[in-house]
Parts: sequence; structure tokens; C-alpha cells
Amino acid sequence: MTETGPEIHGERQVQRSANGEPVVVVKQLVKEFGKLRAVDDLNMVINTGETYGLIGPNGSGKTTLIRMMVGLSRPTSGTIYLLGEKMPSPKVSPNLGYMPQLSALYSDLTAAENMRFFCKIYGLRGKEQGKRIREMLERVDLADRANDVVSKFSGGMKQRLSLACALVHGPRLLMLDEPTGGVDPELRRTFWQYFSQLNSEGVTIIVSTHHLDEASRCTRLGLMRLGELLAQDVPQDLLRNSGKDNMEEAFLYYASRQDEVVEEEKVEKEEIQ
Amino acid sequence: MNFSRIMALATRIIQQVFRDRRTLALIFIVPIFMMSLLFLVLTSTSTVHTLVLVRPTGTNSNQVNTLIDKLLPPQDKLKTINITTDQVDTTLKNGNADAAIIFPADFAQQVLAGQNPTVQIKLEGSDPAVAKAMSDVANGLTHQLGVALVALSAQQHGQAGQTPVINTTIPFTVSEPEYLYGGADYTFNDSLAPVFIGLFSFFFVFLLTSVAFLRERSQGTIDRVMVSPVTRAELVIGYISGFALFAFVQSLLILLFVIYALRVHYSGNLLLVLLVTVLLTVGSVNLGIFLSTFAQNEFQIIQFIPLVFGLQVFLSGIFWPVAQLPTALQAISYLLPLTYANEALRDVMLKNYDFSKIAGQLAALLIFALAMVVLSSITIRRQRA
Repeated sequence: MTETGPEIHGERQVQRSANGEPVVVVKQLVKEFGKLRAVDDLNMVINTGETYGLIGPNGSGKTTLIRMMVGLSRPTSGTIYLLGEKMPSPKVSPNLGYMPQLSALYSDLTAAENMRFFCKIYGLRGKEQGKRIREMLERVDLADRANDVVSKFSGGMKQRLSLACALVHGPRLLMLDEPTGGVDPELRRTFWQYFSQLNSEGVTIIVSTHHLDEASRCTRLGLMRLGELLAQDVPQDLLRNSGKDNMEEAFLYYASRQDEVVEEEKVEKEEIQ
Repeated sequence: MNFSRIMALATRIIQQVFRDRRTLALIFIVPIFMMSLLFLVLTSTSTVHTLVLVRPTGTNSNQVNTLIDKLLPPQDKLKTINITTDQVDTTLKNGNADAAIIFPADFAQQVLAGQNPTVQIKLEGSDPAVAKAMSDVANGLTHQLGVALVALSAQQHGQAGQTPVINTTIPFTVSEPEYLYGGADYTFNDSLAPVFIGLFSFFFVFLLTSVAFLRERSQGTIDRVMVSPVTRAELVIGYISGFALFAFVQSLLILLFVIYALRVHYSGNLLLVLLVTVLLTVGSVNLGIFLSTFAQNEFQIIQFIPLVFGLQVFLSGIFWPVAQLPTALQAISYLLPLTYANEALRDVMLKNYDFSKIAGQLAALLIFALAMVVLSSITIRRQRA
């Protein structure tokens, strides 16, 4: 997806979800854990068919942000709209797919049993259920392990099954928290190919990662550090605006600008005193 | 509320338990094993019990005492001590003896005069198993003595060509055994069987739920479930239905085992027993969910066991009647669900009480169950915060 240019991005921004609203709208979102500001005044708008990448080091607030977006964590202040509904809302859940950071599977059940459980709680049954499970297991290359107990799986296999479970009910909006952790490079590529296929089917994806090389595969990126969005734009523009030729350098550039601002604020405060 | 989602949760829990053979053994085999063991321990007669005798002392007593000596089992089977009437109660209360046979001083004279004297039996009674055994021993001894006296009389007078003086079958009356503690209709096995149904179902359901829910949290699967359309109520009901199945089957198994294998006295309505089990299960599933929130790992769940079960084992009337506890402890007893479950189960299984007679206990169990549902719902909501 490296060929995705700013023009295409512009086109994409025009795309709207069925009810005419952007798929994700986050306004002035703040999450505090005691004195720590895990997410600091965050604003974002994500449209249908995008793959929005949340990039940042561990502890930058990616997981906290995603947990708030899916309704697992309550914001200290600010609002989140998913699919036109103010969160938390029960109307969103049937169309929402969530892949937690941990593989989050019932390790004493088989792969198929895990998928069957998630199908059932999303109301998928009968022939459609069987078809969907087979389809998804093939997609993540686990069809031959369907009846194996998950506790015997390797980390990468669990991650694949976890993705399949998040997708089994065909959600319109997908939130993936570090989906490629522990997945080998070859499979990582198929994951990303699959994500862009989902995009073309109108599925919107928000994905967090600390693999900077995956960044270019996203339609748009949000660089996160210390709970703040340093910058958000299409990958090319992030590179161009920073004057760097790779995302790692670009990230460091935006990070140093954040430090300058913090430093300035400190100086200002001291001057006031 | 969506029934098929509840079923999905319940089926998954049942699947998980069936996948783990050791858990299955824990639910179904351990209770049977523990009960068999306990019953063996309680019914064993390997220890030598002590019988105190207050012997007749009046005229003609020698012949009677000789007969008694002949009838007494050897000292290594039954220890016997001779004492006087005024020492009986203190000896029994001090635990120096398990039973007493008290002959009136003029026993021999009264027998010869056909006055039908009364022989008294007293039992210490605190251990129903021992009391029962000693009651049998004392009754056996006195009966044999009666037969022997008749035979002796016939022999002596027959030789002299006279009509035997003793012409009744047993020339004296043996009083109903008097219990210092407990009572004749209170046998330990009978009164223990019902409470074990309650104890086991409460214990295992608590243990399984709290571990299952803890894993649900530590694996992160709870997050998936919470993001899905499953509501809190469906989650709680799904858990209850899944584990209620095991509690049901377990109760039935224990019931059948105690009735047919251990041959415990039983009468009563099976449906009422299961109703008590259901109410207990609802309480214990939700207590498990609630407490699992405060545990980071399985070991910390184990730490809750003394807290949850220590109190209930000692204070819920399993071994010692609640009424005999100090007042302060009784107050705690009446806060514990098993106290009510035990009363209800004993009433139904031993006294064949109907629904209306245990309604109070059922109401108490219902209140406990509802309180636990509220607590668990709060903790599930907190996970979402």
C-alpha cells in the first residue's frame, strides 16, 4: 500500500459511513490514572475504509485509547462516537470487532470451539456459522488445526486465531491492539494484505503497532507519545513535513518537537512564578 | 436479555469443565471419597470405650455380680470400672467414661421378691456414634444378665424341687438410655449427609467460578465478551446456568450415594433439596465472581478459602448445632448462607418438612443470592470502567 498518495487520501476523506457520519470521531479525549495523564486531549476523525495506524512506543497510551474506544474503559473527559453513536452504546457492539493485546482466547477449548463461542454471542448460527468459521480459519491458515486445543498453539498461532475471532461476525469497524505482535514477517504481510482487502470492502480498521515498518501500510497514521498525538496524517505527508526519509527518523523528529513544547511550557511557568 | 447468548456462555463453561478431567474428578469423585472416608472414621469401633458400673451391694448381690463378671467382655474390648452412684455424672462429664449401667443397691433382693427393679443406663452422648455403640453394649449386657438370672434361678430351684422364684422372662426393667448430651435419634451420619450436599456444592461452585472468572480476566477474554453484545445480566446468568448443571449433578450423586451406598436414613422431597442447591449455587457463583476481582492469580483465590469456608465449616451447624455456640458466634452464624442451607437440608431430608416449613430458610438463601448478584454486577461494571 506504499503507493497510496495524498490524492487518494483526499478522496477517502470524502467517503462516509452509511449514515453520513465519519466512522470514528474522538473529541478532547482525556484519561487520567491518578496523576498520570495516559491520554491527553486527543482529537481524531476516521472515515470509512481507512486503516488508521496508531504508532508509538510502549506506554504511549495506544492501548488505553483503544480500550476507551471499544467501551472497556471510561474516559475522564471527552467524547467518542463510533458509527454515529455516542459511546458507550449497545447499538455499536454488533458491528464492532476487537482484538485485545493479549490473544484473549479460551486456552482449554479448541480453535473451532473458541470461534463457535464468539459466533454464538454475536448471534451467528447454523450453516452460516460453520461457513464463516471455515472461511476465517482458512484466512489465518489454521484450517488444519481447527480441532486442536488452543493451549498447544504457538504465540503466532494464537495471534492468528485471535484475529479470526475478532472478525468472525463480519464487523464494519475493527479495532486491533498490536495484532502483529509475535507474528512472523511472512504472515504479517498476509495480515496487512487482508486488512487492505477489508478496507476495500468498506471495513474501517484502527490498528496499533510499534513496528514502524508497518506504518507505511496504513492509509493514515497517528503518532502517539506520552498520551498525546504528535501528528496525524498520511504516511507520505508525515515524512515530507518532517523532512525525513523513514518513519523512525520522522517519529524522532516529531518527538523532539513535543519535548521543545514541553520545555517552553516549563520556562513559561517559571517566568510566571 | 438474549437466551441464546446465555446458552452460548453456559455451553462454553460446561465444555471447559469437561475438557479438564481433574476438575471433573474434583466435582464428582472428591465429595464421594471424602464422605466415604468420614463415614468410615465415624462408624469405626476400633477404640476401646469405657463403661462404668454401679453394682448391686445388698443381700444376695454376689451371685448377680458373678454373672455380670462372666458377661462382661474382656478389658481390651471394653474397659469397665466400678464406681458408686454419686460418681456417675461427674465421671461421664469428665470424659472418663462413655456410658454407665446403674443397678439399684438392693437389685438382687428386688428381683427375688419379684419387684421388677429398674436398671438405669446413662450415656455421655456427645459423639452420637459412640453413644449408639455404647447404648447397644449396655442393652445387650443387661438383656444377657436377665436371661442368665432366669436360667440360674431355674437351675437352683429346679434342683431343690421348687417352683422357680423368677418366672418372668427378664426379672427387671432397663430404663431408656439417658443422654447427658445429644439424643438417641441423632446419629452423626444421618445429620451429616444433608449438610454435605450444601457444603460441597457451595465449595466447588465457588472454587470453579472464581478460577474461571479470574482466567477470563487474566486471559483477556472477558474484554472480548464485554465488547460483544453480551450484557452483564447475560454474563451472570450464563455463568450461573453453566455451573448450576454441575451443582445439580453433584447433589444428585451425593444424595444417591448416601442413600444407597452409605445407607443413611433419608426421607424427603428431592425437588426441595435441588431448590436449596440452586439458591446456594446462585449465591456461590456470584460470590466467586465478586471475590475473583480481588485476586491476581489462582493462589490468591486459594487464600480466600479459609475466609469463605473456615467460618462456614465451624459456624454453620455442620458439626456443632448453632444453638450451642456462644451468642457472639451465633450472630455470625446467621450471616452465613450455609447455616440456612444446612437447616433446610436437614429439615427436608431428616424430618420430611415441606416447602412451607422451610420457607424462612429459603428466603434467607434467596436474600444472600440476590446480595451476591448485586456485588458481582458491581465488580463486572467496574471492569468496564
